[in-house]
Parts: sequence; C-alpha cells; structure tokens
Amino acid sequence: MNWKKFFIAFIAAFVFLFVFGFIWYGNLMHGAHQEVTALFRPEAEFKEHFPWLILGEIVMAFFLTMLCARFVPAGGVGSGAMLGLLVALVYTGVHVIDFAVMPLTTKILFGWIVGAIIEYSVAGAIIGAIYKPGSRMTT
Amino acid sequence: MKRFILAFIGAYIFMFLWGWLLNGVLLKDVYAETPNLWRSQSEMMSLFHWIIIGQALIVFSFVMIYASGFAGGGVVAGIRLGILLEIAAIGMRLAIYAAEPFPGKLIFYGSVSGLIEMIIVGAIVGAIYKPVRTS
Repeated sequence: MNWKKFFIAFIAAFVFLFVFGFIWYGNLMHGAHQEVTALFRPEAEFKEHFPWLILGEIVMAFFLTMLCARFVPAGGVGSGAMLGLLVALVYTGVHVIDFAVMPLTTKILFGWIVGAIIEYSVAGAIIGAIYKPGSRMTT
Repeated sequence: MKRFILAFIGAYIFMFLWGWLLNGVLLKDVYAETPNLWRSQSEMMSLFHWIIIGQALIVFSFVMIYASGFAGGGVVAGIRLGILLEIAAIGMRLAIYAAEPFPGKLIFYGSVSGLIEMIIVGAIVGAIYKPVRTS
C-alpha cells in the first residue's frame, strides 16, 4: 500500500464529500427536506450534532479510499468511478428501503439516489486519479 | 453467471430473513419509541415491494463488486468486502444522525447489526461465487 498517495486521496475524497454534501443535501435539497420537518433536526440541534457529520464523512472517505486501494490497486479514473458507482448502488438500496419505512417524499428519494450516484462516482474517480500503488520501497 | 445468480439468491434470502428478524422482531420496541419517524404498519405493507427492491439492489451491487474485484478470494475476501462497505455505511449513518432525529441507540444497534449482516453476506457470496476459469 502506498500510504502517502492513500492519505492524499483520502483527504481529497473527504473535501469533495463534504463540499458536495453541503451543496446537494444542504442547499439544493433544503426545500424538499423542509416538506417533512419531523424527519429532520431543527437548525440549532443540527449545529449541535455537526461533529457527527464531520466524523461520518471522515469514516466514509477513509473506507471508500481503502476500498478503492484494494479493489483498484492499479488506480485510474474510470475504474475508480465504476467502483464508486457500484458502492452508490449499495447505498441507493438503503435509501429505497428507507422510503418504504419512513414518510419520505418521492422527491427526497429521487434526490438522495441521484446525489449518491454523483457523490460516490466522482469520489471514486478522484481517488482513482490520485491513488497509485507504490513501489516496494513505499509499501 | 450461474454462480453469480446463486450467490445473489443465497445472500438475498439471508438479508431478507435477517431484516425481518432484526427490524420486525428484535428492534420493534426501539422503533416504537420514535413513531413520528416511521410510516404506519399498513402504509409500510403497501410499500413492501420497495423493501424487496432495495434489498435486491444492495445484494446485486455487492455481488457485482465482489465478482469484478475480489473473485477467487473465497469467504475471507467476501467478509473483507462486507466489512469495508459496512464501515463506510456506518460513516453515512453518523452523518444522517447529525441531520435526522434518530435516537443514538438506534444508530448503534443499526451499525452493529449492519456489520454482522454484511460479514455474513460477504461470507455467503465468497463461498458461492467462483470466477470462470479462463485456462
């Protein structure tokens, strides 16, 4: 494992996940989320819980990078994006189940599915572009 | 392809039964503490096909990832993939916890059970799926 490249890829993935989450879920989908206020924390409570969001994004970025490093050891944008897409489909399944058990609107479900596909495909591509396996000296 | 389908069916049956046991029986009382967050029983039943589709999507994607990257690794490789995917999902769960008013214990139980679930799914897929020999 090339840990230096791994670390750079992880940081880049985290920055992207955080910025994308802020734009997509926090801004573009804000109106849709407001339609079911019971399912979301009020602004003040959300700010109190913000460290959990940061921790969650770190964990996601780290293990997505780990997955890419193991799954696509040679790296590459296309392979990384493909893995990201497959990971997104796993989490899309979770969102579909959420829709069946929680009073989400179809607009929210659609937004979450599209968001997950873009988010993980691009994150996978970023990791694939940065992570390259090291020589024996760097493993 | 035959192994792919068998692995999918085996993992799907387990996920369906596990989901029923966990969410329908073991955590029933925990869910009952937050009724505002859930659909009514009758509403859930009318949307039950979405649960079937969601679980099928999870298992299909899992087998696809395994088949294209971890094939030939057997049970251990399947378990490794399950662990990596589920820990990333725990990250997603933590981010959701910040935005949605789930009780902390539900996030905890969901994460532990999710880890067990994906380890077993990985073991099933790893045990059944074998790559096609090209030589």
